[in-house]
Amino acid sequence: MTAALRQISLEEWDRRRHRLREEGLVEPIYGGPLGRHVADGDTRLLKLRFDDSPAALRLWNFLLTEEDRLRAARESGKKLVGAMKDLGTVPVMAYSLDNLVAFYPDGAWWIPCVMELNTGLLQIADSLGIDESFCPVRAMLGAFVTEAHFPLPDLLTCSVGATCDDFSAIAQRLNGLGHPILWWEIPHRRQSEPGEQAVTLPGGFETPRSQVEFVKSELLRVGVALGELAGRPLDDESLARGIAKANRVRDLLDRLRHLAFTAPLCPMPALEMLIAEMLAIHFCSDRDETILVLAELLAEVERRVAAGVGHLSTDAARVFWVNPVADLQVMNLLEESGGRICGTEYLFAHALDPIPTTLGPMEALAQMALADPMVGSSFDRAARIVADIRRFGAEAVIVSRIPGASHCALEGEIIGRIVREECGLPVLEIEVPSITDAAKATLCTRLEALVETVKDRRE
Amino acid sequence: MKTIVYSCPYVPAEWIAAHGLLPRRLVPLPAEGASIAPRAEGLCPYARAFINEAAAAGAEGIIVTTLCDQMRRAYDLLVRGTITPAFLLNVPKTWQTVAAQRLYLDELKRLGRFLVRLGGRTATREGLATEMIRPDAHAACTAAPGRDARVPIAVLGGPLMQRDRVLFDLVEEAGGRITLDATETGMRGQPRPFDRRRIAEEPLMELADAYLGIADASRRPNSELYVWLRKELAATGVRGVLFHHYVWCDAWRAELARLKEWVGLPVLGLDSDGHDETNPARLRTRIRAFLEMLQ
Repeated sequence: MTAALRQISLEEWDRRRHRLREEGLVEPIYGGPLGRHVADGDTRLLKLRFDDSPAALRLWNFLLTEEDRLRAARESGKKLVGAMKDLGTVPVMAYSLDNLVAFYPDGAWWIPCVMELNTGLLQIADSLGIDESFCPVRAMLGAFVTEAHFPLPDLLTCSVGATCDDFSAIAQRLNGLGHPILWWEIPHRRQSEPGEQAVTLPGGFETPRSQVEFVKSELLRVGVALGELAGRPLDDESLARGIAKANRVRDLLDRLRHLAFTAPLCPMPALEMLIAEMLAIHFCSDRDETILVLAELLAEVERRVAAGVGHLSTDAARVFWVNPVADLQVMNLLEESGGRICGTEYLFAHALDPIPTTLGPMEALAQMALADPMVGSSFDRAARIVADIRRFGAEAVIVSRIPGASHCALEGEIIGRIVREECGLPVLEIEVPSITDAAKATLCTRLEALVETVKDRRE
Repeated sequence: MKTIVYSCPYVPAEWIAAHGLLPRRLVPLPAEGASIAPRAEGLCPYARAFINEAAAAGAEGIIVTTLCDQMRRAYDLLVRGTITPAFLLNVPKTWQTVAAQRLYLDELKRLGRFLVRLGGRTATREGLATEMIRPDAHAACTAAPGRDARVPIAVLGGPLMQRDRVLFDLVEEAGGRITLDATETGMRGQPRPFDRRRIAEEPLMELADAYLGIADASRRPNSELYVWLRKELAATGVRGVLFHHYVWCDAWRAELARLKEWVGLPVLGLDSDGHDETNPARLRTRIRAFLEMLQ
């Protein structure tokens, strides 16, 4: 069976949008032709292939207008919180106060890709001693120096402890340049020992009660700072409302992922799904709009699944993807090579789980923070990946190394070993820099080989 | 006596000794051969060398800490690659809050329970106090005291492996003298002197306070490292700094540029892949040139 849908180029999108507008398409305030972002420097868009739905158009415009929306938020009197090394905790707290807007400065790691190295951000990082031996998130340093990609936040937070050394070092360099940072500690998640009270976290990991209490105390400290910035305290009632909204985002994503990863035909391409998932951790600077964007995307996917249409063919190799890619084009390459995404662990699987509402709000957030697959053992992370592989029926795994990231030195081997032992699936480890053009042929060959292996194993 | 090996300055030797066990700070050579951690792109050579040699050390227990992400993750390989019991000590990166201090104290108590499970005795206040006032406590200082005509140099960075001691020889050969060993395995990795009054009153609190106060690039913020350096550089009259780090050691590599901006002294960056025999010719040439500039 083959699909009725095809991905389109940027040029095709602008023509298509024109037609859709004539047919009555109404866009949000940040809407417009995708081509205008190329004029702003987002030249990588010219090389990407996009889903052709209005829902995808809205998703892309939402993503690519974040800087403008942040500046507008500040002009409207809102305070900005930069939540660094934070995969879905502090933003939930910040958005519980209606005059705060949280964003994710680490997201600057995609700027060298989207703007095809034309911004000089990596060169600025180089000049500050943060060279290519660090993760591409070093582009964030350049973004702070130039102030050209996001406004400087009114409050910067950063989690430390069981986090990547490279990000921690980059954040410290930023701090050394004069940017105050509120550091909060997330300890390495460990098993409880005999005599210790254990807590089962959302997602299934276990940790001692003392670790939850510690993280709760750290988040309370962050909460006080947010309250001071907002001019009113962050109370449990506000936080519970914020958690409910965050859960709405997570619920939409859960349904979206389930359909996208399990439908016989791929109803939404990998690239759009990657961007949709990223919304869970920081809401792309607008939580309420995130809900609308995801709801529209889900409706489109539901319509396609019901109609039996989609991208690729039903025999596309079902691939589970580990770690986000620095070059967005690689998600296209997987599909061009005959694969489709059926499961992901983009470093923040915990941020897709619902936040418990039967607990005190701060207790619930502390548990969520400790449920982060990256703060525990690589074997824990591998176990979660194995569970999701089974849930979505993936046939192969790609571990996408992030150049220079401290966690990538060892965990790929561990994850690969566990997946092979537990699931008997082929595992491919690749490395994806910000721009893969020079390695495109090699990368495609490797992806095609994996797809071929998957198809051979079916026979 | 049963031996416990460790590598990190935040593991108090006195605490291990107070449990009736022999603390051994393992400084890797490194040795090649059978290994738990293979060479891998991105893997810190020190972390790799430590876990490989710790597993082969024949000790009764191994202590690893979370001071860096590489060592934290190397622990995963260690516990599955050896039957020697291993313990991962959570060392907080933050240090300015009571909660961080309490976390470290609680971790030391948890370490104590691990040591008892290995056959150690329960540490008593008196036993710990005795270990803390032993004259050989903090004996690992490697800075050369005194003054002479040679150029005083500091070496700064993370831990040194045994073979990195060649740095000291090369500096001497080139007419210099390392008067401040500010590496993790040197003077910087030592806790401040213990307060005898507090030893008598609450030795574990004093131990934790002294060890948590060790300045390191990985602390957040790491401003105390620069406070410590300002004091020690002034006290030792250092005229140049050798900055040593391993490739893939992000915490230290990131400090090199900041140090150069801050220190007001010539700085020579030396990186090491830790695998090959240190290239003595290249290293000698660089150090000689550096010393010539300072003479």
